[in-house]
Amino acid sequence: MDKQLDLLQGTLDMLILKAVSLGPLHGYGVLLRIQQISRDRLEIQQGSLYPALYRLEHQGWIASEWGESENKRKAKYYRLTAAGKRRLQTESDRWNQMADVIAGILSARPEEV
Amino acid sequence: MLPRLRSWLRAIFRRPRVDRELDSELQFHIELHADDLVLRGIPRDQALRQARLALGGAERAKEECRDAVGVSFIESVAQDIRFGLRMLRKNPGFTAVAVLTLALGIGANGAIFSVVNSVLLHPLAYKDPGRLVTVLRYGNYPISVANYLDYRNQNGSFEQLGAAEYWSPNLTGVDSPEHLLGLHVTQNTLPLLGIQPALGRLFVEGEDTAGNDGEVILSYGLWQRRFSGDASVLGKTLQLDGRSYAIIGVMPADFHFAPFWATHAELWAPISFGARAQNRDGNSLRLFARLKQNVSLAQARAEMATITGRLEKLYPGTNKGIVVLPLKEKVVGNVETPLLVLLGAVGFVLLIACANVAHMLLARAAARQKEIAVRTALGARRSRVVRQVLTENLLLAGMGGAFGLLLAYAGARALVALSPADIPRVESISIDTGVILFLLAITALTSIAFGVVPAMQTSAVNLTDTLKESGRGASDGVRRNRLRSFLVGSEVALALTLLIAAGLMIRSFYALESVDPGFRPHGVLTMIVPVAGSKEADTAHRAIFYQQMLERVRALPGVESAAGINHIPLTGDMWDRTFLIEGRPKPAPSDTPDAVYRIATPGYFQTMGISLIQGRDIAATDDATATPVVVINERLAQRYWSSGSPLGQHMAIDPGDSGGPLIWTTIVGIVKDSKQRGWTSAPDPEMYLAAFQTKEFLGGASTAAASYITLVVRAAGDPAALTSSVKSAIWSLDSDLPISSVITMDEAVAQANAQPRFEMLLLAVFAVVALVLAAVGIYGVMSYSVARRTHEIGIRVSLGASRADVLRLIMRQGLVLAVAGSAAGLVAALLLARLMTKLLYGVPPTDPVTFVCVAGLLILVALVACYVPARRAMRVDPVTAMRCE
Repeated sequence: MDKQLDLLQGTLDMLILKAVSLGPLHGYGVLLRIQQISRDRLEIQQGSLYPALYRLEHQGWIASEWGESENKRKAKYYRLTAAGKRRLQTESDRWNQMADVIAGILSARPEEV
Repeated sequence: MLPRLRSWLRAIFRRPRVDRELDSELQFHIELHADDLVLRGIPRDQALRQARLALGGAERAKEECRDAVGVSFIESVAQDIRFGLRMLRKNPGFTAVAVLTLALGIGANGAIFSVVNSVLLHPLAYKDPGRLVTVLRYGNYPISVANYLDYRNQNGSFEQLGAAEYWSPNLTGVDSPEHLLGLHVTQNTLPLLGIQPALGRLFVEGEDTAGNDGEVILSYGLWQRRFSGDASVLGKTLQLDGRSYAIIGVMPADFHFAPFWATHAELWAPISFGARAQNRDGNSLRLFARLKQNVSLAQARAEMATITGRLEKLYPGTNKGIVVLPLKEKVVGNVETPLLVLLGAVGFVLLIACANVAHMLLARAAARQKEIAVRTALGARRSRVVRQVLTENLLLAGMGGAFGLLLAYAGARALVALSPADIPRVESISIDTGVILFLLAITALTSIAFGVVPAMQTSAVNLTDTLKESGRGASDGVRRNRLRSFLVGSEVALALTLLIAAGLMIRSFYALESVDPGFRPHGVLTMIVPVAGSKEADTAHRAIFYQQMLERVRALPGVESAAGINHIPLTGDMWDRTFLIEGRPKPAPSDTPDAVYRIATPGYFQTMGISLIQGRDIAATDDATATPVVVINERLAQRYWSSGSPLGQHMAIDPGDSGGPLIWTTIVGIVKDSKQRGWTSAPDPEMYLAAFQTKEFLGGASTAAASYITLVVRAAGDPAALTSSVKSAIWSLDSDLPISSVITMDEAVAQANAQPRFEMLLLAVFAVVALVLAAVGIYGVMSYSVARRTHEIGIRVSLGASRADVLRLIMRQGLVLAVAGSAAGLVAALLLARLMTKLLYGVPPTDPVTFVCVAGLLILVALVACYVPARRAMRVDPVTAMRCE
């Protein structure tokens, strides 16, 4: 149970970084953007979103500032920092490698072994 | 790193603002989400609710956000502490009892550990004390000069082999003459200890030869006392036994030598052997050595065995039983077992205290179930609840530890004040860093010992059940009950073990008290009147002075009788002399009989209360002109006259250091054996020579035996009250005499039994504390149980149970606990009492009387502790009991 959550958490961090790399977003915006890009196939636990944002900000990968939302309300916007950009790069490289390896394993046929 | 630090600081120091921001951020999120839901056609109020649910508990989300920044730990600890303190303040009774219980346990441990710390762990304040050894005959007795010199010259194991001899000079030529305790030491003795003087220097090579030995080193205490710490004291001279000594050094304040005997020595002077270098009979030296770096104790022992074996062949009858002992073992050997037993005892007290607090916490955990359930429902995680409870426990332990430290401090001071004089290094006992670290460690351990299980139980709350129930469950879980019973049972067992140990000590002490010492100590006052260096020192005046002194003292009101002797029993010295019996073949040197050598004036036996069995006392007519007489004790008579009476027989007594021919005496009386060496040791053979016939005693020789007389006074009333009048009577003859060692025989007996009394007292105190704690524990558990079972009892009563039935029900529950605990305790005590064998006198460690009485007492106390709650149960009114649920 816990392990699954950890795995999700790691993924969530990467997804958040990716989402804000496309332009500054507030928390709810991050949620919407991930759902939008994933074409609603991925549902994010809302409860874990804000702790993740705080953690990423604490790590210095995203920065926040208060601004005005499209409907004229005060909102906190997150954007990617330089360190966050590098982090996103390494995270996605690692993810792609891992995905390749796992895909390779899963597609293995008896004669290839 | 920098952004992280900034965010930490922000989170810690701008907490309200961060919280506000987080609040509005979450609020914003909820509103946006709700807006979206409204667009999908959900009514606004429902949309808001759904949005809130989707985000999860707002408080929880906030806390996790704080967690993410990593400061919440520090923050929540502070919060836990604040909350914990509030909880403890809210239950002042609970807090007071718990803190007091812990403080007792921790304080007692601190006090005993402070003694163990300085006595057992740091017994020798010398450089590299692990390499220091002492060489003694049979591990206890001194060695002769010639043998010492041979060992020193022949051995290769020791860096240095030094020797020390008892020296008690009179300080004269000052305003208040004083009898001092010091040591004569060989030049190398002080340097081998590796301690530098605080002032001046130590003796150097050649300063222990005749003519060069007129120098003295003072202890810090003596320097302060007689010279007010004046640094210009170096080079000044002291008149000691009528001879001038130049002061060359002052030792540091914490310096003590020798460590196991003459521990209160205040000055050290060089020893020059002169003609004594050939003496192989007079044993007076205790040897101290430092092992060479590459030599082990075993090697040193082997070499000493070779040397003494060789010397024994050359000089038959000498060099037997020479033992090389690590100095530490010699110093702490006697107190190691009692101290470890006491440390174990206070450990038990602490365990009982922990058990008590643990079930107090268990009871409270039950009462707090609802609070915890509410907190869990509001989103507190289990780890958070456990941490909260553990923080409270740590607070309890911390307060207990703080009060414990105070108690330990007071306890250590009381221990020092009460402790027998022969506990080594007693003056260095204090609460130092080591003790404080120990206290911190046991405080932490204590909080774990009493806290973890209750904490786990507190937090393991079944939400729905607890919230649904009205507060008091109908009955407790079986596991919790079992745990509580186990705690009480162990308390009873621990308390019983301690009580048995204390019981054995008390029995042993009574056995000691009822020992017949062979003399009647009550009502006897003694004091040493040193004459060396005074105008009475010479032979012409000595006998007259002694006679006049005794006459004046006898004439004092309240004095029944008075007499003099060289050494009194128990506190006095014991000197051996060899003797020959007329008409028997001369024995081999190694078989020469010897006996304790006493020199007494007429009336000594009557004054000391030693009964005469046969013949007569030494009489006033036994003077220098009459034939020398001797009175022997039963032990001597039985050993050498197994058949026939020794009366009228002749003995030739060795003249000892005074030289001259054998002293031929006639045996005129036999007296009862008396305790000499110690309270529990077997009586030694003794011979009492007539004082006014013994030249040595009257200044005929320059030996230590000739330098003083011990005055013994039997009083009609309180002997101590006579002290000043007796002293004045003596000073009316010579006001310069430094009277010393004023002690009543009752005090001497008390001193001889000081260590067992001390041990008994402490064990008894700890046992009583343990008993009280155990009784409180049983009372607490039974009260709690009765309170929880009120409902059940109500049902029983309404179904027809009589009050006696209810009483039996509760008492049986308590009795089962007490009996089970006692059974376990008896087994533990049987095993542990074996370790106490060394401390006991006249009582076997498995003494059935003690075991049965103590177990009975404990069960009785347990029943009394049950009775109060049982009576409460008896009075339960079924109607109220069932309605109040």
